[in-house]
Amino acid sequence: MYEFNYHRPASLDEAKRILSGNDEAKLLGGGMTLLPTMKMRLAQPSDLVDLSAIASLSGIEVAGDSITIGAMTTHAQVAASAEVSSRIAALSVLASGIGDAQVRNRGTIGGSVANSDPAADYPAAVLGLNATVITDEREIAADDFFTGMFETALGPQEILTAIRFPLPKRAGYAKFPNPASRYAVAGVMVAETGNGVRVAVTGAGANAYRVSEMESALSANFSASALDGLAVDASELNGDLHASPEYRAHLVVVMAKRAVAAAGG
Amino acid sequence: MDDSARQHSGERISGAVGTPIPHDSAHLHVSGAALYTDDLPEPRGLLHAAVGLSPVAHARIAALDLGEVLQAPGVVDAMTADDIPGKNNCGPVVADDPVLAPGVVEYAGQAVFAVAAESVEAARKAVHLAKVSYEELKPIIDPVEAVAASSFVLPSEVIERGDSRKAIDAAAHRLQGRVSLGGQDQFYLEGQIAMALPREDGDLFVYSSTQHPGEVQHLVAEAIGRSSKDVVVECRRMGGAFGGKESQPALIACIASLLAHKTGRPCKLRLDRDVDMLMTGKRHDFVIDYEVGFDDDGLISGIRFEFAARCGMSADLSGAINDRTMFHCDNAYFLENISIVSHRCKTNTVSNTAFRGFGGPQGMFAIEHVIDDIARYLSRNPLDVRKRNFYGKTTRNVTQYQQTIEDNIIEDVVTQVESSSDYAARYAAVRAFNADSALLKKGIALTPVKFGISFTATHLNQAGALLHVYTDGTVHINHGGTEMGQGLFTKVAQVVAEELQIDIDRIKITASDTSKVPNASATAASAGADLNGKAAQAAAQTVKRRLIQFAAEHFNVEPSAVRFENNEVLVGGQAIGFAELVHLAWFARTSLSATGFYKTPKINYDRSTFSGRPFYYYAYGAAVSEVIVDTLTGEHRLLRVDIVHDCGKSLNPAIDLGQIEGGFIQGAGWLTTEELWWNEKGELKTHAPSTYKIPVCSDVPEEFHVTILESQANREETIHRSKAVGEPPLMLSLSVFHALRDAVASVSNYQVLPGLNAPATPESVLRAIDGQRAAG
Amino acid sequence: MPSTVSFTLNGEPVSAEVSSRTLLVDMIREQLGRTGTHVGCDTSQCGACVIHVDGVSVKSCTMLALQADGADVVTIEGVARNGELHPMQAAFREHHGLQCGFCTPGMIMSALDLLQTNPDPSEGEVREWLEGNLCRCTGYQNIVKAVLSAAATMRG
Repeated sequence: MYEFNYHRPASLDEAKRILSGNDEAKLLGGGMTLLPTMKMRLAQPSDLVDLSAIASLSGIEVAGDSITIGAMTTHAQVAASAEVSSRIAALSVLASGIGDAQVRNRGTIGGSVANSDPAADYPAAVLGLNATVITDEREIAADDFFTGMFETALGPQEILTAIRFPLPKRAGYAKFPNPASRYAVAGVMVAETGNGVRVAVTGAGANAYRVSEMESALSANFSASALDGLAVDASELNGDLHASPEYRAHLVVVMAKRAVAAAGG
Repeated sequence: MDDSARQHSGERISGAVGTPIPHDSAHLHVSGAALYTDDLPEPRGLLHAAVGLSPVAHARIAALDLGEVLQAPGVVDAMTADDIPGKNNCGPVVADDPVLAPGVVEYAGQAVFAVAAESVEAARKAVHLAKVSYEELKPIIDPVEAVAASSFVLPSEVIERGDSRKAIDAAAHRLQGRVSLGGQDQFYLEGQIAMALPREDGDLFVYSSTQHPGEVQHLVAEAIGRSSKDVVVECRRMGGAFGGKESQPALIACIASLLAHKTGRPCKLRLDRDVDMLMTGKRHDFVIDYEVGFDDDGLISGIRFEFAARCGMSADLSGAINDRTMFHCDNAYFLENISIVSHRCKTNTVSNTAFRGFGGPQGMFAIEHVIDDIARYLSRNPLDVRKRNFYGKTTRNVTQYQQTIEDNIIEDVVTQVESSSDYAARYAAVRAFNADSALLKKGIALTPVKFGISFTATHLNQAGALLHVYTDGTVHINHGGTEMGQGLFTKVAQVVAEELQIDIDRIKITASDTSKVPNASATAASAGADLNGKAAQAAAQTVKRRLIQFAAEHFNVEPSAVRFENNEVLVGGQAIGFAELVHLAWFARTSLSATGFYKTPKINYDRSTFSGRPFYYYAYGAAVSEVIVDTLTGEHRLLRVDIVHDCGKSLNPAIDLGQIEGGFIQGAGWLTTEELWWNEKGELKTHAPSTYKIPVCSDVPEEFHVTILESQANREETIHRSKAVGEPPLMLSLSVFHALRDAVASVSNYQVLPGLNAPATPESVLRAIDGQRAAG
Repeated sequence: MPSTVSFTLNGEPVSAEVSSRTLLVDMIREQLGRTGTHVGCDTSQCGACVIHVDGVSVKSCTMLALQADGADVVTIEGVARNGELHPMQAAFREHHGLQCGFCTPGMIMSALDLLQTNPDPSEGEVREWLEGNLCRCTGYQNIVKAVLSAAATMRG
């Protein structure tokens, strides 16, 4: 790991001040991805801004038709939250399946979403549940947020502060985990929302994406059998030591069906 | 506790042979107080080493410039092959394993240069500043390619008995096939590490995490251009080894020692996990071709095997490992007409090495695969075909290497597990389940294990021990074996406690140390307790004889009237405490220190003809595994495992049970989840636990029934009639692979032979399922 | 640039000069001399380095020392009380939940965290919880037995 300046600001304003004019600074959430990356010397930030002391960034808040989760809320907190599990069980399932117990104790929802790791679980939830990404500057619709592998719509000095999930009518998440890392080889969030059915996939492509053919099929008939015969084109998918593109394409369909079943379809 | 109190403390000593006492270091392990090499107090002026690895599989080193490395902050020195004062070799058998690449690199991950710096971080960072240019040469990566190019580390070997060609041609049925079988990383939790300390007069003291301190001593001495008397190697414990620390630690220790020798400062080299996995050898992966002839009952009349093992860039232990493959491709079956060809392929990959089973598992995998194919071809229950081919007790009992099997208990073992697992009923239930289940399919299999115990290199079957008795009646025991978690030190202490009839807490087991017991063999081949237990017993017996002699004279009784029992010595009708007698003996000038030596009897074997008796005895076991497979994804789960395993008369049933459970699960990992993935350039891409999956807690079935075969004393006169238990249980896991084959075959209603290679990862299982559908 | 980090380690205040990139595990092992916390993989997978920070289990190889400033840190050395093994430690010893012992400290710290929120876990819950702790020796059977037995003892 290379040297850097470490900051632990107590407020968003202070964090912002450190970031401003400092292009090489990076925000530190739980560090579950960033620190390993830095240890491998694949990232070399000049400054690390640890957000853990900013109390306003943690917590789960329930409004009438949505749940807002602070960026620094850990996966363990989301998984253990009765508010979450009673309203969006699929989100609870997703959070409790990330990494292992110790990763869930440190890793944060904000860190996971802002990183847009192609194999992370949360991007599927954000996109599938049609969440809104809230930053210190604006609100970003899920459909506009993930722009590429490790790339998002966030500006260089923009701080993701919370994510607001509208309550779906029903939703389900299923993933085929990499047996070693438990990252998603293919993970699918299926949700019936106020604005129709959404199907979001993580792990299979460069970043989380929606599958319109599946959405239309499920809009007509919200059941696993609606996806029978539907094939996913392997040519766009990742192929690596974890799985071939063909296997991923196959898994996307199987996981989508499982997600529909989990949603009660 | 003084001796008078002990007289009333009970009938037996604590820690006697056969009692399930905890590991001798358990109280330290659970407190974080057990010291591994990296935990030892660091000496003044310690330097930390890092290694520069070749990024390419095969190349000439055109230029190597360490200028910037040497200028980097904290760096004290650096070295290449040219700076080695002695021999640039850490190969255990053949001198073909350079410590640092001498002009040519032969695998991606090979050590090219080494750096010593004031901190670990400084050393590891400086490595990246080296300017090395490589002229790439064409690499050979896989064994099939190597066979075609006649690229071998050692000559191919052949064992023939009878006329397999004729027998196959005359058989009612014939099958042939090819199956590939992946390798396995040892994945000891404690990575490779050594710390070398210069002593006066150019001597070195080396702490090494090694199964073979004597070899490290020898190779370090040669590398620094000195002799064995100048180097002492010590190892108190390893955080796991599994064969991965049999030959490999020499490389790590040589680098640390060379830098210590060059700088005159102590030097430690600890590999991080990625470097460890890239740089050090693993279990050999194989491509196996077979051809077999058999009758309507599945009785094999002739069989031909051709093995191609990926040995990597050097010979290392590949000779003995592949010999063991040839010795174990019979497993528990009499193969009357057999031809075995074994290729030891040279490839531009890391040099593969020892791993629990040492080639045996691959041989057994081969024959179990053939038997399974035969059963499926004949639509028979595979267990019936297995039984049909078992070795006999008085006839059909000679192996392909001409050893007569005198201790065959395979039928007893199999019968016991067949009944305890309710195999027959569950075999039927699995088929009934599959008939009604479209997506989920179950499979079940029973596989036997017969594993030969002894080093196949006869000369290695020797051991030494050193025992001191102090005047307070406590004992210091040292032997040539090493502790890697297997409980060897505990077992040896139990043997000494039993022999001297004293409580085990009076015995201190001490670090393996080349200055106490010289020229010890590696702790390997499952033989640790067999060899070192006997050597320690011999040392204890020597001291005991002297004490008896003394007591007889002192108390004026016949030596036969002196008996050691429960912390006391009974002399005639009188009891005196052990410590009291020891003190009296010392006062009378009796030597209370002794060495012990043991060499395994009866073994003798001629490698030039592959015939004789390489094994003192065999260990047996059998397992039944049941799995469930999701035919949509290839995911599978182990539902239930039943094992019966033969430990002879166990020295410590708790430790043996742990070896059986641990070995089985490790084997299941090898055959189902652990995938070593090289790309076409020969780069290993699975070099960390984030990509290389060893079994975790949730992979173990909740129904896991392990039984140690009751009251089966070893027929041979081993230490308290026990049997070796380190390696054999690993091969019980073949039942998992065959249960998976059974589940896969159900997709075609058992009409198509399942084309499943190992490891049976979900993707590979799904491919095999697709094969069933396509053919069915 | 070195900074001073201070926290409570096993109930005692400690502090050390570290650089920004110093990992918590290295500070604990190298600077504070508590070597019971092991480094098995350096990549937050194996769990040999699990300790407690502010009451929850974390992998100390994936935390900066600076992140622990002001925290309450407990390592394996802080588990025993008054020279007596904690019931969890005693159970690992009695039930042979170890062989080489290298994973044991992390395994115990992880298991203790489970019992904080789930004092009566099922066998399945123990198995799932311990997914982040690799053991290469035991096959996990005796580890699970030890955790369940310790849980029973601790419930009283």
